[in-house]
Amino acid sequence: MLEIDDIHVSYGRLRALKGISLSVAKGELVCLIGPNGAGKSTTLAAVAGGVTPTRGGISLEGASLVGVRPEQIARLGVSLVPEGRHVFGTLTVAENLRVGTYMRADRRAISSDYDRVLGLFPRLQERIGSPAGRLSGGEQQMLVIARALLTRPRLLLVDEPSLGLAPRIVDQVYEILLAARQAEGLTLLVNEQSSHRILKHADRIYVIRGGHIHLHDRAANLQDGEAIKRAYFGFGEDPQSAEIEEDAA
Amino acid sequence: MIGFLQNLVDALSLGSLYALAALGVGLLFGILRLVNFAHGDFISIGAYALIVPSLEVTAQLFIGAWNWTLMIPTITLIVVIAALISDALVFRPLRRATAPTLMIASFAVSYVIQNGILMIYGARPKAANLWSGLNSAMMIGDLRVPLLQVVTIGVTLLLMGGLTLFLRRTAFGVMMRAAAEDFRMAQYLGVRGNLVIGLAFAISGILATAVSLLYLSQTGTLSPTMGVPLALFAFVATVIGGMGSLIGAVVGGFLVGIIVVMLQAYLPQDLRVFRDAFAFAFVILILLVRPSGIVPTRAFIERV
Repeated sequence: MLEIDDIHVSYGRLRALKGISLSVAKGELVCLIGPNGAGKSTTLAAVAGGVTPTRGGISLEGASLVGVRPEQIARLGVSLVPEGRHVFGTLTVAENLRVGTYMRADRRAISSDYDRVLGLFPRLQERIGSPAGRLSGGEQQMLVIARALLTRPRLLLVDEPSLGLAPRIVDQVYEILLAARQAEGLTLLVNEQSSHRILKHADRIYVIRGGHIHLHDRAANLQDGEAIKRAYFGFGEDPQSAEIEEDAA
Repeated sequence: MIGFLQNLVDALSLGSLYALAALGVGLLFGILRLVNFAHGDFISIGAYALIVPSLEVTAQLFIGAWNWTLMIPTITLIVVIAALISDALVFRPLRRATAPTLMIASFAVSYVIQNGILMIYGARPKAANLWSGLNSAMMIGDLRVPLLQVVTIGVTLLLMGGLTLFLRRTAFGVMMRAAAEDFRMAQYLGVRGNLVIGLAFAISGILATAVSLLYLSQTGTLSPTMGVPLALFAFVATVIGGMGSLIGAVVGGFLVGIIVVMLQAYLPQDLRVFRDAFAFAFVILILLVRPSGIVPTRAFIERV
């Protein structure tokens, strides 16, 4: 479904991605694991049209996404939940949820989707009229995921859904993502800093560090965590490649 | 007491104009991070479009002589088109530019418009008589209220109410508010960037038209730089109101109007020539107490 072929992205003089290739098949849950600043967010932003690769290609079911505006990519069925809970703070919860539905052509299905998604998030239902900025961190994370689901994506990109959340809330977030995957045949590409939770759920794992992919395998083959640890920290490699970089995404 | 009330009506009337102009500036700043100094020149365009292009000192009304039901939509259309053209030619190619670049570009637009007016209408200020019927006054007890001031305040409240309804109740309004808060996130959700920016320019054009007509009725004079002080005060109003907050822009506009009129009324005679200096001293005072304005927003927090 999604093919990323050797993309390079720079922010000014900083090279964030130095040739990333990965693929996600329809219905898969693929996870991108890597330390802070590895290039995970940049990879997702490149798919969603937020940054344009200087080299390489990105295609969704054969159609190139390079140079396409983010609002067009959203219309093709790609929805990004960026890191850091980008709620529209002065808009109410209901208004936040509605923003993602304006582009949809299937007007009739919206209100039933709306009820169904709110059914998954009883907390949001309770706070439907409050400004999103007043929600707790966990509630905001629920809101951005609910909002993304309401765009009816085929491919959902989720950037660090567990960042700064209590473990119990993180479990809830994953339950909902997995339920949506089951119910709608959603394809998921998820970024995480740590592997221990995602190893249970993911089909395949990519480990990214310093703008390169250092490991790629089926999650089933990585369950002991040793290979991930080596790729993540760069143990047993040429020390030159273990450079530390700032994440400018 | 009557004297004070009289001044207060004046202050509200002048404040209305500043609030309308500040709303136009604030709306574009909210969505585009553009401090649009050409907003004053949109106001000039609205005023000059009313008269026959000529180098005469006394202006002949042209569109301004039409029935108001036809005249207001026509002038609005002209100003809105001017605003959209300046977006298409200047600001659209600068979408990824920084806020200072955008501001400097707006100065360029401002000079181009002023010189365009200069070429067509000449440099000398002109007198024009728009809606002289509104100069009659109503008496409320001992308070003498010119009809024009009532109309000014009324139109302002009406436009603010309309804008509020638009922003709260319509899909486009919700998209604009979302884009003002987090432009990139709105795009990720399918909101068309150029559409909401175009809408913001169009609405700021409508607001500028209202200021054109009301301001010209009040002063009766046109000059190529007539919009400059209005844009400056509007900018000051958005700053003390809190950049990016529309409520702040309105509050700031009225506050600037009140400060200016009250200083004019109560400063000692010898100091009145320095009125604007005192007004700006007040502005500095307000900013010392509330550096991010009366209604602070997240506009200046860097976005990731």
